[in-house]
Amino acid sequence: MKRLDLSKLGQYVIVIIVAVTLNFALPRLMPGNPLALIAGVDVGLLTAEERAQIIEDVGLNEPILNQYADYWVSIATGDLGQSYRSGRPIKDIIAERLPWTLLLAGGALIISSFFGIILGAISAWRRGGKADVPLLTGMIALQSLPSFWLGMLLISVFAVNLGLLPSFGAISPAANYEGWEYFKDVLEHAILPIVTLSVLSTPGVYLTMRYSMLEVLGEDFIRTARAKGASERRVLFGHVTRNAIAPVVTFLAIRFAFSFGGAVIIETVFSYPGLGRLVFEAVSGRDFPVMQASFLVFTAAVLIANLIADLLYPILDPRTRAA
Amino acid sequence: MTSPASIRSPLALDAPPLLALEGLSIRFDMRDGQVHAVSDIDLSVKPGEVFALVGESGSGKSVTALSIMGLLPTPPAIVSGSIRFEGQDLTTLRNRAMSKIRGKEIGMVFQDPMSSLNPVHTVGKQIGESLRLHFGMNRRDAHGRAIELLDRVGIPDAASRASDHPHEFSGGMRQRAVIAMALACDPKLLIADEPTTALDVTVQSQIVQLIRDLQQERHMAVIWITHDLGVVAEIADRVAVMYGGRVMEQGSASDVYAATRHPYTSGLLRAIPGIDRSTATKLAEIPGTPTTIFAPLTACAFHHRCPMTEPGCTSSVPELMATDRPGHESSCIHHEELAAAGNIWLDDASTIQPDRSRSDDRVIVTVEDLKVHFPIRRRSGRARGTVRAVDGVNLEIHTGRTLGVVGESGCGKTTLGRTLVGLIEPTAGSIRVDGSDDDTHRTIQMIFQDPFSSMNPGMRVRDVIEEPLRILSMGSSGERESRVAELLEMVGLPTDAAERYPHEFSGGQRQRIAIARALAADPQVIVCDEPVSALDVSVQAQIVNLLRDIQDTHGLAFLFIAHDLAVVRHISDEVAVMYLGQIVERSSRDDLYREPLHPYTKALLAAVPVPDPSVSHSAAPLRGDLPSPSNPPSGCRFHTRCPVAVPGMCDTQPPPLLEVSSERWVACHLVGSDQPHKRPQTGGEQS
Repeated sequence: MKRLDLSKLGQYVIVIIVAVTLNFALPRLMPGNPLALIAGVDVGLLTAEERAQIIEDVGLNEPILNQYADYWVSIATGDLGQSYRSGRPIKDIIAERLPWTLLLAGGALIISSFFGIILGAISAWRRGGKADVPLLTGMIALQSLPSFWLGMLLISVFAVNLGLLPSFGAISPAANYEGWEYFKDVLEHAILPIVTLSVLSTPGVYLTMRYSMLEVLGEDFIRTARAKGASERRVLFGHVTRNAIAPVVTFLAIRFAFSFGGAVIIETVFSYPGLGRLVFEAVSGRDFPVMQASFLVFTAAVLIANLIADLLYPILDPRTRAA
Repeated sequence: MTSPASIRSPLALDAPPLLALEGLSIRFDMRDGQVHAVSDIDLSVKPGEVFALVGESGSGKSVTALSIMGLLPTPPAIVSGSIRFEGQDLTTLRNRAMSKIRGKEIGMVFQDPMSSLNPVHTVGKQIGESLRLHFGMNRRDAHGRAIELLDRVGIPDAASRASDHPHEFSGGMRQRAVIAMALACDPKLLIADEPTTALDVTVQSQIVQLIRDLQQERHMAVIWITHDLGVVAEIADRVAVMYGGRVMEQGSASDVYAATRHPYTSGLLRAIPGIDRSTATKLAEIPGTPTTIFAPLTACAFHHRCPMTEPGCTSSVPELMATDRPGHESSCIHHEELAAAGNIWLDDASTIQPDRSRSDDRVIVTVEDLKVHFPIRRRSGRARGTVRAVDGVNLEIHTGRTLGVVGESGCGKTTLGRTLVGLIEPTAGSIRVDGSDDDTHRTIQMIFQDPFSSMNPGMRVRDVIEEPLRILSMGSSGERESRVAELLEMVGLPTDAAERYPHEFSGGQRQRIAIARALAADPQVIVCDEPVSALDVSVQAQIVNLLRDIQDTHGLAFLFIAHDLAVVRHISDEVAVMYLGQIVERSSRDDLYREPLHPYTKALLAAVPVPDPSVSHSAAPLRGDLPSPSNPPSGCRFHTRCPVAVPGMCDTQPPPLLEVSSERWVACHLVGSDQPHKRPQTGGEQS
């Protein structure tokens, strides 16, 4: 019974088709020669023979439907083309970059959900109390911080002034650490970007949790639980939390997917070699094939995060289980 | 503080009270002032008795119950006085000590079974929770005991249902589960706060019977909190009537009903449109509305609305006084006069409500074979079935007359009303409105159930009332303005109400605004969908009388939809009984109530609580809940609950709606089958 609704899966398929088609169509709809996509601004410098050669190589002379079909085949086989700048297969580049972004986004997700949920619960449980008012104000203030500013602030304090942590990169270049040393090195480099991302994500989790808890606390079944003789602790953990957490899970899934996009700024500030940094490099170098491929990865991330939320929801809220 | 009531009550002498409230006052300190919810009351409940606390909204009855349980939020609530349970003052207990009494010594059942169970835990787990909390039972023992309890409260197949979640239970079943939960630890006192208000009358009688059985079986005391004097008469040993946070009258149920010694109680009793009282007179109205008490009382709480008020009533707050009957107390200084005079809410000539003749009416709306089906969608939007909300209804509405429509929730009566007004597209069949080629909206208007949510809070009353005129482009702005003033006067509101906002009015006043809005475009038919069910009893009578008056002066036709059979009887000329989307019986009001023919009509009428404790109460007439309208039973849709269903006939062939005698239509195989002249009603049979 708890299998995923088939029609729900159909919606995912539609989103994938639309995303891939857009990705295929956009460069072809853009003004100018699609060659510019492959060769970038240098297209004007190429001779007529070189152009013909490239068009031949990439198959731009074939009928549009064939090109579309080929595009699907190449995506299905994991062939995302080659970077114009480095000439390397984009698949390899992404495989290299993705783990770093996952490390940042995942780390931030765990930290921000931990603090967001606990602080949100504390705030709502004693609404208007000693903890609630400063927490609420503080969180709203945090939410309005610009991410690049916060990143730079952290760098200047912890890396420049205190010299405790490295300010750029994911690993120390040319150190060739192994085992525990390597792990420590990676962690040291990841701390500042993860903290920045976490600080920016926590207010959203906090506000969602606080609101959701307040909603549940006003429900009749909370009064029923107290009437049964449940202690306040039991009311909180046995009755409120599980009901309040479901909307937070949805929020976290969306937040996780978006932190991929948010990584563009953070990874740039910290010169962190993740996907976001890759996008930044591709944009500044007009490396269109890489931008296209990153776009597909972002789409996939959003879809996977949503899928996870969809799968978790029925477990948390039995009312949403398919009959 | 006054001496406790129990000392004066001879009934209390034989047993010490289980619960004694002494000088209990409850105040809420809100940001914009104080609300005095309960003012210095004394009440006592003896072991094993059913004590009813009756009152309208704002009387303080629910707040009193919550204070006994220690469930009032403090602040803003401030409780003073004492609440002694088996001699121990609960107000002095800390929360931790109190939670050892809650659920173990005192159980509580709440009003709305839909929201009082936690949606994420199984029903069995929630029942077992009390056992684990108070008796330290392990998970498996608690589950086993939960199954026994579910079985005891009448849940079929309890062993497997215990693992279901609340949303898989119907309303009546959930209330049974809540009762099982409250009784899990065998409490000495059960507090039931409006336990049947959210339920259908047939389910209500099942729940009343269940609680009565359980109470006798366990010799448990029950505090039954309600606004419904009918239910109280069925179950209570003693009754206290509250108003404005004070006890107006208390005594044995039979004394309070038959020898009423307070004008408020007698007003309430007379305002109820009983199922067997004369419809020749209007309902007695209690003027005004229940008010919130913002300052400490200095007078009788009821003096604003009382016909007997004199200077003595406002000089001090009257205490409960012994009356001529033992154990019966009244706080009215006129209680002796009342004993002598009897009824003070006299009917005069102007209250005569003539029966309307049928000579000059004509059919204004004809509904033929109307079907309204809704697809049931999954979360993904794909249809997985159909709810046959209205499934083949034929009826006629006559000018100047009222057709009442009754039935349990889910029978399709509200869908029928909304389809008539054009809010829902019919799936099949026709609605013909006679003599109007123009907009149906102009001819048919609607009054909704909930006067609080059916009005845009951002609009002034004037705009609310004027809106139909503007939509239909009727009149200039000056004409509309004078029309609004005229309408306000017609519904008994001051003209300056036009410039105020809906939230400034009470429920009854808002329903008057809703009536004015419905009347604005000068319609010929008004669909009233439960127009009084959200109102207090004393206000209900005002609105019912107003509707009658307006109908008489304007010759309007009403389709009056309600679950309250007594109200329907009072206002209707003809009544249709609906079951699962179909009309099972339709006839003139007097015939239907005097001699119901369809077994379902009989059961509905038998389930109506009679506000008279001397009437003996039969067992609950219907078992189970309404089957799902998405999968109605085969044959006669009622056969699954029918006490006289004939296997082989009722479960296979759907009975047609036949005219069994003049102007009486019944859809039952067992009614009128020996009538030689039966003929199908015009417009085709029901399928």
